[in-house]
Amino acid sequence: MTHLTSSTADDRRPVPQPDEITRFYWDGAAAGRLLMQKCLSCGKLQFPPDVCCLSCQSEHFGHAEVSGRGSIYSYAVVERPLHAGFVDALPYVIALVELDEQSGLRLVANLLDATPGTRLSCGQPVEVVYEKREGITLPQFRLVEVSR
Amino acid sequence: MTSLARDVAVVGVGYSQLSRAGEPEPLVLLLEAVKGALTDAGLSGTDVDGIFEYKFGPESPGAQDVARVLGVPDLAAFADILPTNPSGLGGVLAGVMAVASGACETALVFRCLTRAAGHTGGVVDGPSTVAGRNQFLTPYGYLGGILVEMALKKRRWMAEYSRAEEDFGHIAVNARRWSALNPRAVLREPVTMDDYLSSRVVVEPLRLLDCDYPINGAVATVITTAERAADLRQPPVLVDAMSYGSGRGADWTFNNDYLYGGTFDCADRLWRRSSVTLENVDVAQVYDGFTSVTMSWIEALGACGRGEFGDWIGDGSRIGPGGDFPMNTAGGQLAEGRLHGVSFLNEAALQLRGQCGDRQVPGARVAVVASGLYPQCGAVVLTSG
Ligand SMILES: [Zn+2]
Repeated sequence: MTHLTSSTADDRRPVPQPDEITRFYWDGAAAGRLLMQKCLSCGKLQFPPDVCCLSCQSEHFGHAEVSGRGSIYSYAVVERPLHAGFVDALPYVIALVELDEQSGLRLVANLLDATPGTRLSCGQPVEVVYEKREGITLPQFRLVEVSR
Repeated sequence: MTSLARDVAVVGVGYSQLSRAGEPEPLVLLLEAVKGALTDAGLSGTDVDGIFEYKFGPESPGAQDVARVLGVPDLAAFADILPTNPSGLGGVLAGVMAVASGACETALVFRCLTRAAGHTGGVVDGPSTVAGRNQFLTPYGYLGGILVEMALKKRRWMAEYSRAEEDFGHIAVNARRWSALNPRAVLREPVTMDDYLSSRVVVEPLRLLDCDYPINGAVATVITTAERAADLRQPPVLVDAMSYGSGRGADWTFNNDYLYGGTFDCADRLWRRSSVTLENVDVAQVYDGFTSVTMSWIEALGACGRGEFGDWIGDGSRIGPGGDFPMNTAGGQLAEGRLHGVSFLNEAALQLRGQCGDRQVPGARVAVVASGLYPQCGAVVLTSG
C-alpha cells in the first residue's frame, strides 16, 4: 500500500461527499483498502456503489477488498482549465481503469505519475495508490513497471 | 404501414435565424421558429393542442410560454422534457406518441438554444464537495460537461479497433461539404482532413472539430395525424417507425457497452417496427454532437458491422453529396449549428419533400433520423407520403 499526499492547503479541487451507500468505499480508501460492493446473491463485484445489484437486483452486499491491480481501459489528458479548482493541477491524466478481478469493472482515477510526455496506451497495467485530500482519501492509480 | 396506433405525419418545419454572435432573447428566437413551422404547415396557434420541448436549462422557454404567445386555446398534452432524453428528438418522439395515441391532434415540438447555454468548455467553479454519482468523477477532474467522457470514448474506439483519428475526421469533413450547400448553416467554409488533424485539442485526444458548434437558434416541427396532413400545405411526410433506447445499465461512463450505450437496442427496435430496411434509406440524419457518436450510430443502424466503420467509410465520399449514403445533408450540428436533434428531423422532412435546393438528394423517399447518445437514444424512420 502506498500513500501519496499531494494535497496542499490551498488545494481547491472538489472532494467526494460520502453518503450511506458510498461511505464504505471512502472509509476503505482511508485505511488503504480498495473495497467493492460484492453481491451476496450472484457474487458480482460492482462499481460505483449502488442501491442494489445491477445484475440481480439483490440488496444484500458484502464489501470485497480487491487487489488494486488493473489496466488502462481508456485515458484522456486535460491540459486546458475546465474548472477553477483544477487550474493548479494541470496538466493531468484521467483514466478509466478496468480492475483485474472482473471484466467490465471500471473506475475513474488520475494516473498520478503520468505527464503528457509519458507514453501511455490502453491495456497498460496500473495499480492503486492513495491520495489524501482535505479530510478524505481518494484511490488513484499509477503505472506498473513491467519487469522483463 | 406503421407500428403506431394512428398514422402520424410531420407537416411543418421552422427555424429562427441561426447566429454565432450576440445574445438574442430566447423567446424571440423561438417565436420565429414556431411561427415559421406553423406557417409552413398552413396552420396557426389555434390549431395546436400539444407542445413538447427538450430542455437543457433555463435558456429555453417552456411549453406553456409558447402556448401563451401563440394563442393556443388549451393544451391537451404537453411536456418539458429533461436533458436525459434522446436530445431534441425527445420532443419529437413525445409529440409522435401523443398524436398517435389520440392524446392530442396537432403537436408543436421545438428546441431553443443560445451560445451561452451551449458552451461547455468554459472554466467553471463548482462546489467544494460533490455528492451522488459525480463523487466518483468530478474530484478526479472529469469535467467540461461531457468533454472528458467524449475524449475517453474516442481513445477507446481507436484502441479497441486499432484505428486512427482519420475515421473521426471523415465525419467533420463531411459536415462542411454539405453545409457549403446550406445557406442556413453557420460554418460553411470547407475543412480538409489536414485541418481536422491540426485543429486544437480540447481534451486530448478530443479535437475542436470533433465537437459540434454552439449557436443561438431555435427550430420547430409540427406533427399531426396523417389523415389531417392530407389537407395541409406541404407534401406529407409520414412517420413509419420510432424508437427509444437506453441499453442495460444506463450510464455514460460505467455502462455495459461503453462505445455504444443504447444505440444498438434503439436501432434494432426501430428496424423491427419499420416497414422498410436500411437498404431502402435514401438519406440519413445522424446525431453529431461529437464525431464518435455518429460512428456508433452508423454501426448500430446496420450500415456495417460493429467496429467496421473505419473500413466502411473509406475516403469519406460515400456520406457526401453524390455518395451512396448521403448523411447530415444540412451540415449537422458540426456545421449547421447545434440545434439538438430537432434540426435533423426537419432536414429529413425537407429532403423527403424535395425542397433542399442545392443539397437535395435526388428522389429521396425514405429517411432515417438517429439522435442522442449512449444511454439516451432515439430514432425515427420517415417516408414520403
Ligand atoms: Zn447480484
